[in-house]
Amino acid sequence: MSVIECKDVTKVYRNIAALKGVSFAIEENKITGVIGRNGAGKSTMLKILAGFLKETSGEVHVLSERPFNNLKVSANLIYVDDQMSLPTSLTLSDILECAGDFYRNWDKELANRLFDYFSFHPKQRHNNLSKGMKSTFNMIIGLAARCAVTIFDEPTIGMDEAVRKDFYRALLKDYIAYPRTILLSSHHLHEVEDLLEDVFIIKEGKTLLHVPLTDFKEMAIGLSGDLSIVNPLISDKEVYHLEENGIKRTYVVVENNFTEAELHEAKVKGVDVSPVSSSDLYVFLTNKTKGGIEDVFNRG
Amino acid sequence: MSLTEVSFASVVKSQFRYKVKAYLGVFVSLMILQLIAIIFSFNGVSSFGSGSDSFSVTVSRYSANMVITFTFLWAFITAILLTTRAYRYDDFSFVTNRLSGSLSTVLFLLFACAAAGISAMLSSFLLKNIIYFFFTDITLAGGLPQAAPGEFIIGTIATILYVILFSSAGYFIGTLVQLHRFFAVSVPGVIFGSLFIGDQSGLGNVIVWINEFLFSETSFFIFISKIIIFSGIFFVSSFYLLNRLEVRQ
Repeated sequence: MSVIECKDVTKVYRNIAALKGVSFAIEENKITGVIGRNGAGKSTMLKILAGFLKETSGEVHVLSERPFNNLKVSANLIYVDDQMSLPTSLTLSDILECAGDFYRNWDKELANRLFDYFSFHPKQRHNNLSKGMKSTFNMIIGLAARCAVTIFDEPTIGMDEAVRKDFYRALLKDYIAYPRTILLSSHHLHEVEDLLEDVFIIKEGKTLLHVPLTDFKEMAIGLSGDLSIVNPLISDKEVYHLEENGIKRTYVVVENNFTEAELHEAKVKGVDVSPVSSSDLYVFLTNKTKGGIEDVFNRG
Repeated sequence: MSLTEVSFASVVKSQFRYKVKAYLGVFVSLMILQLIAIIFSFNGVSSFGSGSDSFSVTVSRYSANMVITFTFLWAFITAILLTTRAYRYDDFSFVTNRLSGSLSTVLFLLFACAAAGISAMLSSFLLKNIIYFFFTDITLAGGLPQAAPGEFIIGTIATILYVILFSSAGYFIGTLVQLHRFFAVSVPGVIFGSLFIGDQSGLGNVIVWINEFLFSETSFFIFISKIIIFSGIFFVSSFYLLNRLEVRQ
């Protein structure tokens, strides 16, 4: 069963299109990474799912309902980011208590244990927390709420290395104990790739890719060698990245549908064949130009 | 994870509890404002004196009118404040939809207005005590609830209703401003403009008309109906307008 279904969703903010037709479906109890560059439309998409924003056109279904102004969706979905608005007049322990009042599946014990582990003070106020502490506190709410759909929009902003690792560990542990649908958006694919089952890449307001992570890892291959040898090999392939690598040498990343024999032949001809890490591939895929930042400086 | 079913009423109830806790500052500002008003009231609302060579008489009237006026102001400003982004966005960190969020805010406002109206009425006793002990030689205190309990209760209900009316107007204006910044300039413009439009004696003057329509009603029942209808219109149209507003763009 698909928990989330979107069809041709667009969102226009005062003449600027943030989403230009995004379609995807997310199955129950999967952890999906929503990955994209700055301004690709990740947050807009997730906020539409949370019912904060209203889609300009297209169809959005979360738990078979339209999320905008929907109480059922709101009760079963939590959206956590670093800008969560919480009253400045309440102490952190008051806020946890209120959250418990709202969410039926709220796990008070987990919330308190995490609260102590990350050494928060019960009398602290949310607006006095540092950026990383805020993110950590919001994360506690997101995990303890145990909502059927849990959305973390760049949850690790400001967190230090140790807390980040703890967060991912906590997320995974709690997910295994209480499986639910989790959407995790991030700029850093390498950080979250151990956690994810699927990746969903948004580029310039459109769905670029939505595949299982294992497929994504094997999707591309890197070839480097002499221009005259490499070019014929890739003539009918989709090129993700192309870079000059010394005189008359080139490094290309192309779709990986070579046969064993073809690869063997290439190696014999002196081409280096190398795997491409998923985060490199993500960068290549989401670059606007094939050469990346190099193109800016190559004026010739 | 199993899905949970929630009813609209239970969400509004949770939100109301949450708001009573979270918006405690509203009551602090009410107390400060009423104390300031009490201090201003030490002068009395009117006084006259007369005398001859051998004696002199000064009669001063003290009342909580100033406190009540300040309470109206407080209700108006507080209602505007509760429509601002920070307060609306607070709802969306937890379970809510737009209607339940606005409805619980208005319930909180009604609750706060009732508390404010009662404390404004009671402040007249505090004022009279202070005057009696610190300011005058002889006090002929009137207006004690024991003397006319019915009037005191009617007075309190009327005060609460006026406070609610002011808060509903504030809530509506705050909502308009949230919809578009244009209203932040035009609404004060219209209000100040209407002070000068028309004949001072009343013909075509909106302020005079409002004064007559709402503040000079002699039948208590009709007065209650008028206030309920007016504030109802303000609140319901705000619900309608807020229901389409996006959050955290």
